[in-house]
Amino acid sequence: MDRRAIGVISGKGGVGKTSLTASLASLASKDPDIIPIIMDCDVDAPNLALILPAENEHNIDMQDTYTTLKASFIEEKCVHCKQCIEDKFCEFHALSWDEEQEIPIINYLACEGCGACKVLCPEHAFEINPVKSGEIISYITKKEPRLVYGRTELGSTTSGKLVSESKEYAQDLDEYEASNFILIDGPPGIGCPVIATVTGLDYIITICEPTPSGVHDVKRAIEVVQQFEIPFGIVINKADLKSPFQKEFQEFIDSTGYDVLGRIPFDLQIAHAMANAEPVVDYAPDSEASKAIIEIFKKLKKRLWDSSL
Amino acid sequence: MAKPPIITVTGGKGGTGKTLIAVNLTTMFKNEGKKVLLIDGDVENPNTNLLLGLELKNKTPVMFFKPVIIKEKCSKCGLCAQNCATNALLWVKDSYPIPFLSLCSGCKLCYKICPEDAIKEDKKILGWIYEAQKDNIDLLVGELKPSEARSASVVEALLEKLNTTLENEPEKYDVVILDTAPGAHCDVELLLGQADKIIPVTEPTKFGKLDLERIIQLIKLLNKDYKAIVNRSSLLGFKDEFLQELAEQNIEILGDIPLDDEIVQSYCQGIPLMDDSGKFDTNGAGYQAFLKIFDNLKIWMEDHKMQEVKK
Repeated sequence: MDRRAIGVISGKGGVGKTSLTASLASLASKDPDIIPIIMDCDVDAPNLALILPAENEHNIDMQDTYTTLKASFIEEKCVHCKQCIEDKFCEFHALSWDEEQEIPIINYLACEGCGACKVLCPEHAFEINPVKSGEIISYITKKEPRLVYGRTELGSTTSGKLVSESKEYAQDLDEYEASNFILIDGPPGIGCPVIATVTGLDYIITICEPTPSGVHDVKRAIEVVQQFEIPFGIVINKADLKSPFQKEFQEFIDSTGYDVLGRIPFDLQIAHAMANAEPVVDYAPDSEASKAIIEIFKKLKKRLWDSSL
Repeated sequence: MAKPPIITVTGGKGGTGKTLIAVNLTTMFKNEGKKVLLIDGDVENPNTNLLLGLELKNKTPVMFFKPVIIKEKCSKCGLCAQNCATNALLWVKDSYPIPFLSLCSGCKLCYKICPEDAIKEDKKILGWIYEAQKDNIDLLVGELKPSEARSASVVEALLEKLNTTLENEPEKYDVVILDTAPGAHCDVELLLGQADKIIPVTEPTKFGKLDLERIIQLIKLLNKDYKAIVNRSSLLGFKDEFLQELAEQNIEILGDIPLDDEIVQSYCQGIPLMDDSGKFDTNGAGYQAFLKIFDNLKIWMEDHKMQEVKK
C-alpha cells in the first residue's frame, strides 16, 4: 500500500484529538496491512506520549532543536548612536533604550531573530545566533510503532518551525521507507503550528463536538484544510451530548454535505481509559465508544487506500 | 490615576474551560456593578461572544506588512532575498525577487535595505477586531483570518488597543479580563505578559496536570503571580488525589468546579451560568463553586493591592 500521512485536528482544544489518535494508533499497529509511525505535533502541550509510553525507557532518542534565532548585543562595538531606536530597526518592539548606559536592551521573548538589527546597525553591534527551541523525542512504544514528537522550549516562539522539524525528523528515520501510515496528533487552533502540521498531508480528520464553539471552531479548521486542498472527513465526538444545540448542529452537518467518518457517543469509558493512560479501544474494547472508533478506522482505511486521494 | 487590574485566564491544554471561566468571572464582576473589559485573545478560535450570546460589531481589519517589488526600480541584486530570515523572498540571479507572503514575518528588512528603494510597503489583511457591549461589559474580540499563521500579530493589535484605552482613560474600567488560546506559544505569552494575575485552568487528569505544569513554567519565566482553577473536578473521583498533588507542588488554587449539567446547558445556550437570568439554579453545584472562586479571587486581588501600596 502507498504511504499516507494523515493528521487529526479540531480547531477547538479538548474535543478528543489525542484520545482518537491514540485509539487509531493502536488499531493501526494491530492491522497486518499497516506499518505506522505515530507523531504528536501539539508541540506546546504534547500529551500522546502519556498514552503511548516507551517500550524501553532507556532507549529514548532525544535531540535538541535550534530552530529559533535570537539577537544578542555586543557592547564593545556600540558607539551609542541610538540609530537602532530612532530608525526603528526592530518591528517587534524587542529593542528599547537604556538611558543610563546609553545602550539598547533586547527583549529576548519579543525578538523574532529576523536579523534586521544585525544588518542595519552600522557598527555591527548585533549578532544573530540559534538558541534551543525545543526537543524532538522518539522511541518505540509498547504498542510497537514508533512515536515521534516535539516539545517546545517555553518562550522560544517557534512552534511552527519545530513542527516542521519534527516531521522532517520522522522522514529521515530508517523505518520511514517501510512505513505506509503516518498518523499525526495535531495542535488546537488554526495558526502557525496547525498550518505546519497539515502542510503536505494526504488526508485530515477534523474532530468536533456538537456545541456552538465546537462547530464555530471546526468550521475555521475546515476553511484552512480547504485552502490547502486536502481531503478530509469529520468525526463527531460526544455525538449524543444532551444539548439544546443538537438540532442546529445536525442542520450544519446536513447542509454542508461533509463526509462524516463516524460519531463517537459520550462514553465514560473514554475518561476511564484516559485516566489509565490507555487507548479506549484497548481499555474497553466492547464499549460503545470503541465500537464507533473501530468503524471510523475501517472507513478511514477505505478513504485512504480504496480511492485515489 | 489607578489603572484597572488585568487578569489573564489561560490553561495550556485545550478545552479545560478557559473561556467558560473568563466569561463567568466577567459576569460576576458585572453583577457587582463593576465596569469590565473582556478581551478574547484566542484569535485562532474566538468564542467569548458565543458564550455571552453577543452579536459582534464594528469589524475593523488588522493589517500586516506586505512587500511589493517595484520592477522599474529593481536592479535584481538579490540583497533583499539574501537577508530575509524566513526565506519569504525567492530570488534567482538576474530575475526579480518573488515574495512568498505566507512566510513573511513583517520585519521590513527588505524594505529598509533595498539600495534602489524598489520595495514598497503595502498591507494585507491578517485578521479583524470586533467589539460588543452589554450592560457593564465591553467585549473586544480578535480573529485571525483562516490560512494566515501570525496569530500573535492580531493579539498585538488587541493589546495596542487595550493600552491606548488604559493610557487615555485609565479609570474607564474597574477590571480587565484576558482570555487566551490553548498552548504556550507567542500569542499566549503576550497575554500572560500583560497580566497582574494569571489563572491557569486545568482538569484532574494526567493531561491536565502535564499541561498545567508547562504553562506554570512559562508563567514563572515571566515572573507573574498565579492561582489555578480545577475544572470538572468531580470527574471519575480524582479530585482529592489531584488537589493533593497540586498542594505537594505548592500550586495554589482559587477553587474547583464540579461537573454540572447546568454548565453545559448555559454553554450551549449562550447565557453565562452566573448571569442573573433566573434560568439557572443558584444553589447548583456549579453556581456555588463559581461564587466561592469569585470570593477567593477578590481576596487575592485585595492582597495584591496591599502589596502594591506597601511598595
